[in-house]
Amino acid sequence: MSASATQHTGGAAGAAGVATVPAIAPQAPSRLQRWRGAGNLLPALLFLGLFFLAPLIGLLLRGVLEPVPGLGNYEQLFANSAYARVLFNTFSVAGLVTLFSLLLGFPLAWAITLVPRGWGRWMLNIVLLSMWTSLLARTYSWLVLLQASGVVNKALMALGIIDQPLEMVHNLTGVVIGMSYIMIPFIVLPLQATMQAIDPMILQAGSICGASPWTNFFRVFLPLCRPGLFSGGLMVFVMSLGYYVTPALLGGAQNMMLPEFIIQQVQSFLNWGLASAGAALLVAITLVLFYFYLKLQPESPVGASNAR
Amino acid sequence: MLLTPNAMSRRMRFGLYFTTGVIALFLLLPIVFIVLLSFGSSQWLVFPPPGWTFKWYGQFFSNPDWMSAALTSLKVAVLTTVCAVALGLPTAFALVRGRFPGREMLYGLFTLPMIVPLVIIAVAVYALFLKLGYTGTMFAFVVSHVIVALPFTIISIINSLKLFDQSIEDAAVICGASRLQAVFKVTFPAIRPGMVAGALFAFLVSWDEVVLSVMMASPTLQTLPVKMWTTLRQDLTPVIAVASTLLIGLSVLVMVIAAALRRRNEISA
Repeated sequence: MSASATQHTGGAAGAAGVATVPAIAPQAPSRLQRWRGAGNLLPALLFLGLFFLAPLIGLLLRGVLEPVPGLGNYEQLFANSAYARVLFNTFSVAGLVTLFSLLLGFPLAWAITLVPRGWGRWMLNIVLLSMWTSLLARTYSWLVLLQASGVVNKALMALGIIDQPLEMVHNLTGVVIGMSYIMIPFIVLPLQATMQAIDPMILQAGSICGASPWTNFFRVFLPLCRPGLFSGGLMVFVMSLGYYVTPALLGGAQNMMLPEFIIQQVQSFLNWGLASAGAALLVAITLVLFYFYLKLQPESPVGASNAR
Repeated sequence: MLLTPNAMSRRMRFGLYFTTGVIALFLLLPIVFIVLLSFGSSQWLVFPPPGWTFKWYGQFFSNPDWMSAALTSLKVAVLTTVCAVALGLPTAFALVRGRFPGREMLYGLFTLPMIVPLVIIAVAVYALFLKLGYTGTMFAFVVSHVIVALPFTIISIINSLKLFDQSIEDAAVICGASRLQAVFKVTFPAIRPGMVAGALFAFLVSWDEVVLSVMMASPTLQTLPVKMWTTLRQDLTPVIAVASTLLIGLSVLVMVIAAALRRRNEISA
C-alpha cells in the first residue's frame, strides 16, 4: 500500500526524495504505473483463455450450430419427454440432497458450536477429513455398504426392521444417500461459522422474556442461523446439479441427471449438439444461482459489521 | 440458552449429542469400512470379514496395470502442482498489488473453474484435445487438472500475500537488493505457508480427480481413479478397496502435513 502510494505522488516531488535510492520504480507516467505488475497476469490469463474459456465458448456455440444452425437442440431438450425427465430428475435429486444434508448438517454444526473447544476441533477435523477423502473411494464404499448383501441390509434384517433386503443401489435412494453424505461438510462449515457468531445472550434474553425453548428455537435461533442455512443450502444445490460420479455409480438408468446425460450424448451417441445445449443450460442455471449466492453473502445479520 | 449447554434441559442436550454422535459416525463409516475391507479375506466383500489378509495388496502391487496407473497418478499430480503454483504465484502478486481497473472481474475469472460444473469443463477440454489429437497424453491430463487446481493455489497465495507487509520488501530494496532478490529472499519465505497450502490443495485436487481424467484417458494411459472407475463398472473386487485405501491414505497424509505446518506457523508467528 505505502509503496504504491508514494509512486502515485511520483513526479518531480517524489524524485527528490528517492533520487539516491537505486531501482525503485522508474518515473513513468501514472497510467503506466497503474498497469505495472499487470504483466504478471499474462501466463495464467493465456493458459485459461486457451484451455478453459475458448473450449467453453466453443462448446456452448455447438449447441446452436450443430447439426444445423438454430435452436433445434433446445427444442428437443424440452419437448422430448425422456429429456424433460432428465431435467426433472436433476432438480428433484438436487432438492432432496439439499434437504437431507441440511437436516443432517444442522445438528452437527450446532453441537460443534456447543461443545468445549477441543471436542469441537476434533469434530471439525472429522468433517474436513470426510471432505478431502477421495470422492471415488467414498462412493465405492457406499456401493458396497448398500448392496443387497451389504452391511446396511444385514443390520436392518438382524434388527428385525425388514425381512427382505431393500434395494438401495442403482436407484434414487442410493443417489440421495451417497450425495447427501458427500454434501454434509459443505453445510456444516458455513453454518457453524454463522452459529459461532451468534451472541448467546440474545437467546438468554429470549428465554428471560418468557419464550419456551421451542419458541426460542424457532423464533430466535433459527432466524439467526438463516444466512448460514441459505448460503450452505444454495451452494449444495448448485454443486448437486453438476455432480457426475456419485449419480453415475449409485443411480440407475431411470434417474439419470443432466451431467450424466451430457457425457452419454458425447461418448455414446456423439451427439455434440444436444450435449452442448444441455451443457449451456447447466452453465446458465449454475451461474444464475451462484449470482444469488454472492448477493446473499454480505447481508448476514451476524456478519463482521454487526459483531460486538 | 440454546447456545450455552449448561442451561439446556438434560433431555435436549442428550438428544442433540446423541444425534451428533450418530452423524459423526455416519461421516466416518464409509472411510473406515473401506480401509477394513481392503484387509478382509472375502472376495465378495462380506462384512465382518471371515479373516484378515494382505492378499489384495499383493494382487494390487503385482498387477502392472494398477501399478502403472498409480505411477501415472503420482506423475500427473506432481506436474499439476508445479504448474499450478508457477502460474498462480505471479497471478496472485498481480491481483494483490496491482492497482489496475477490473481486478475484481479478473479474480472472478480466475475462480470460475471452481464454479462451472466439472462435467462441462471436461467435455469442453475433451472436444479441444480431440481436435488437436492430444487425448490420452500426459499433456492432456496435466492441462485439464491445472485448470481446476489453479483457483485453489491462487486463493491460498492471495490470502498469505495480503497478510505480508510490502514495506518489508521495499526495505530490502532500499538496503541494496534488487527487486527480484527482495521478492525471492524476503517475500517468498514470508508467504511460504500460502504457497505450501496452495501446492497441497493442487496435489489433492489432481490426485483425486475422476471426471476430467475419465475423459482424457486412453486404454494405455490412465490414472488410478480412472482405473478404479473402469474396474468398478465390471465388478466390486476388493482390489478396488486397496486402491481406495491408498487414495485415502495419501489424502490423510497431505492433510496431516498441512495441519502440522499450520501449527508450526502459529507457534512461530
